[in-house]
Amino acid sequence: MRPLVLIFLCTLALFSNELKLEHNFNQAVEKAQKQHKQVLMMYSAVWCPECNYMKDVVFKDKAVSSYMQKHYVVLTLDIQKDKLPDGFEYPGIPVFFLLDNNAKEKHRIVGGSKAKTFLQKLKGLQ
Amino acid sequence: MKHLIVLLLILLNTLFAFNVEDLKTLKEDGDCPMCDLSYANLSAMDLSMSDFRDANLSHANLNNALAHKADFSNADLSYATFLKANIKGASFVKAHLINVDFTEARIWKGDFTQAKIEKCDFNNSALGSAIFDENNLSNSTFNEAILYKTIFRKNVIGVPK
Repeated sequence: MRPLVLIFLCTLALFSNELKLEHNFNQAVEKAQKQHKQVLMMYSAVWCPECNYMKDVVFKDKAVSSYMQKHYVVLTLDIQKDKLPDGFEYPGIPVFFLLDNNAKEKHRIVGGSKAKTFLQKLKGLQ
Repeated sequence: MKHLIVLLLILLNTLFAFNVEDLKTLKEDGDCPMCDLSYANLSAMDLSMSDFRDANLSHANLNNALAHKADFSNADLSYATFLKANIKGASFVKAHLINVDFTEARIWKGDFTQAKIEKCDFNNSALGSAIFDENNLSNSTFNEAILYKTIFRKNVIGVPK
């Protein structure tokens, strides 16, 4: 029975579109370096409907999540709990920072958008 | 003939232009209730929390403006343009919204209660958590608009799908 459950869980994990989110800046940077990816840092708040839309709808879009999973380590920081690292400024939330290899801002996307548009914006950052 | 054209242009400008003093007030105080800002160019201006109650903003250009939580209650916004404007949390309660262009505007949590909405363009706008109450939306367009948790209360005609 146990192996069956395990196989089921593994299969579920394989086909899940759930995006893995990091919540610690240093750990995310380290992970990105190891995996040869870039860090995409989202600054948001739980009371922000636009941020929630991005997390609840856009990040769950199959095309968006698989693209993000493939290219980025996705870090989400909360405005009420986390201070932005030095050198980062935000004009409002949600804001998405694409970090360079030195963990500095390379590009930013201000505001949320529909999945298709957001994906286009992400692809435009490369 | 030349003089006549110049005179005509000046006359037209006087007829349709905003009140210069009102624009000055807005720039100095950040608020301008009951002002005449018709045809004013307010594009890309920071108008966050500004008070525009009962103001005349018809044909005003608010493209790319940041008007977060601005109060447009009872204002005349006929033919105004809000292209790509950030108007999150703005109040349009009882405002006159005739032929207003909200294309790609971010209107999260905007309040449109009892606003007179006619032939407005909400295409590609973000209206998540916005409130519509006692409106007729049947001749406005909402193509590709974000309607995530948008509240359509009683008496709303033509709720977009």
